[in-house]
Amino acid sequence: MDIVQVVISGILLGGVYTLFATGLNLIFGVMKIINLGHGELMMLGAYITFFLSTSAGVNPLVSIPVAAIAMAVLGWILQFALVERVVNQPAINSLLLTFGLSTLMMGVALNLWTSNFRSVIYEPLTGSWTILTISFSRSRLVAFFIAILVTGGMWLFLKRSTFGKSIRATSQHPQVAQLCGIDVRQVRFATFALGSAMAAVSGSLIAMIFTVSPEMGRMFIGKGFAIIVLGGLGSFAGAFLGALILGVSETLTAFFTNTQIAEGVAYLILLLVLVVRPSGLFGKAEE
Amino acid sequence: MSASKVNRRELMRRAAILGVSVPAMSALLAAEAGAQATPAGTVAAAPTGDPIRIGASVSTTGTNGRTGLYQQEAYLLWEAQKNASGGLLGRPVEMVLYDDQSDPTTGARLYERLITEDQVDLVMGPYASGVTQAVAQITERYGYPLLVAGASANSIWESGFRAIFGVYSVAGDYFKDIITTIAPAQDYKTAAVIYEDAVFPMSTGQGAVTTLQDQGIEVVLEESYPQKATDVSSVLTKIRDLDPDMLIGGSYLPDSVLIVRQAKELGLNPRLYAFSVGAAQPDFVETLGADANYVLGPSMWEPEIETEGNADFMAAYQQMWDRDPDYHSATGYAGCQILERAVTNVGELDLEALAEALSSLTMNTILPGEYRVDETGKQIGHIPLTVQWQDGQKIIVAPEDQQTGELNLPTPPWDERS
Repeated sequence: MDIVQVVISGILLGGVYTLFATGLNLIFGVMKIINLGHGELMMLGAYITFFLSTSAGVNPLVSIPVAAIAMAVLGWILQFALVERVVNQPAINSLLLTFGLSTLMMGVALNLWTSNFRSVIYEPLTGSWTILTISFSRSRLVAFFIAILVTGGMWLFLKRSTFGKSIRATSQHPQVAQLCGIDVRQVRFATFALGSAMAAVSGSLIAMIFTVSPEMGRMFIGKGFAIIVLGGLGSFAGAFLGALILGVSETLTAFFTNTQIAEGVAYLILLLVLVVRPSGLFGKAEE
Repeated sequence: MSASKVNRRELMRRAAILGVSVPAMSALLAAEAGAQATPAGTVAAAPTGDPIRIGASVSTTGTNGRTGLYQQEAYLLWEAQKNASGGLLGRPVEMVLYDDQSDPTTGARLYERLITEDQVDLVMGPYASGVTQAVAQITERYGYPLLVAGASANSIWESGFRAIFGVYSVAGDYFKDIITTIAPAQDYKTAAVIYEDAVFPMSTGQGAVTTLQDQGIEVVLEESYPQKATDVSSVLTKIRDLDPDMLIGGSYLPDSVLIVRQAKELGLNPRLYAFSVGAAQPDFVETLGADANYVLGPSMWEPEIETEGNADFMAAYQQMWDRDPDYHSATGYAGCQILERAVTNVGELDLEALAEALSSLTMNTILPGEYRVDETGKQIGHIPLTVQWQDGQKIIVAPEDQQTGELNLPTPPWDERS
């Protein structure tokens, strides 16, 4: 029974990772940019939920769309003002830029809100639901479903809507997409905004599960990167599955060895994938 | 010989510059702190002569910036009080302060600079174990006795230093009272100990394991987890099967919160929870709400304790800084009290004699217990308080003479809590 519990915990942990990783991968897919500031966008989303719920008494679940919209706007501005300049440039430029953004946002947050750890107390979501002696953490289960809802919605949007198709087209072949009359610049703006919004939603959820601090983004960016490499760079479904695989591998490893070793699993997976199947589970091999 | 002459001339030059600024500053501060610090009816003689310069670097920015600031404020409060009440050895006191940005290497460099370039007369300790460990190498090399007012990792006193003196209990003793007094009284026989893989929390966790074994309490599980862990459900699932009486966490605030939350989610029900740091901080109850109840933790100091001068310290601190001190302020202030006593006893600024005095001194500070160190300089006289959250209030449950309420154990299972 313990094993089932551990696997469930792992899936729920994976749910926490999914939103973060799919947003990161969406941006990579379209722009071939690893956004190192993704963790900080998540952190800002978490703070929005924290301040809205503690100062304004807003239900933390209600604060999620607010955080998403706010970060989408910030994402759009960042793309417009900065990131757009490094698209199609050597990778080092975008890495430096987004690393700079990451440090800047973290520094500003440290200055404004101190390095205090905060958390949102939302009573209905503490504790767990128990089914047949298996505990389902309420906060993580709710986060899991919201994550599935958002990533699923995003997936449908990409699959069905015209604009979603433009995004996929740009992701697959920007030049051809442009020739077909797609405004790829506009697509990039929208993608960065959407990716940022997904980071914000994951931050809002984490605020209810874990603690909020300016440095929280750094806890997730490394794992986020491992997940998208595992799932396949640019692959939306891959990031989703990669997140679940990582979550379960971590909890199982922690159960059979210890939590210390489990922390390294992400990087071990990263290494293995790079050696065995560099394109990841769902990625397409480069020419 | 000639080198020392140059140094002396340089000192004179600096003193001349400071001669302008120090009295002016003390006058200002005296106006503020004087009424508080000087008992009515007595007029302290104004300090005269060259100031005694005391150097320190404290993290006021970076990861530990917020906590470090408390320690620095305590140093400055003590400086203001001394200058308003006759100074030290009749001379004004000047704190020479830098910010090490929470970085050990920077801290070490700054103490080197304080000693060799600024040529301060004395030094006080920095904040946090990592920085202190690095700084101790420097102060030891130059023969400056160091009062460790902001660190407690055992390893600091395991390096064979001669003149590094602890102000409060070492990390390994944080759970001593809980394990040797509270656990036997409750007849607890088993414990699980988990701790974060960093110098300080690991010291507290491993110290707990040693104490538990000495006490004859079985340690059913000992495991470390990485810094910044976001999930400890697997180890807690293992602990749930072992059903120990006590769950002890060598942890900071975020992981203490994480452990309690996931313990609740998994229905893990030890009779006693104790965490090394998070539990004593007000943020703990703010992040956990009612789930913080019953949790125990050691605390180096609490605002309401009745130690010598504590009430005055509280009042003066609030007046000068417009906020309440936290325990880092208290340990910083206690460090200054100890230095002051040692200097007064020696009667001059002889570093050798000061180190000697600090190693044999016994005195009361605003901290509970007393200042007393063993032959390695490790603090052994300080008595950490044990606090417990009860209905959202932090209650001091041990030691007996500082109690503000009764201990409330065992912790009821999660599903029996309202």
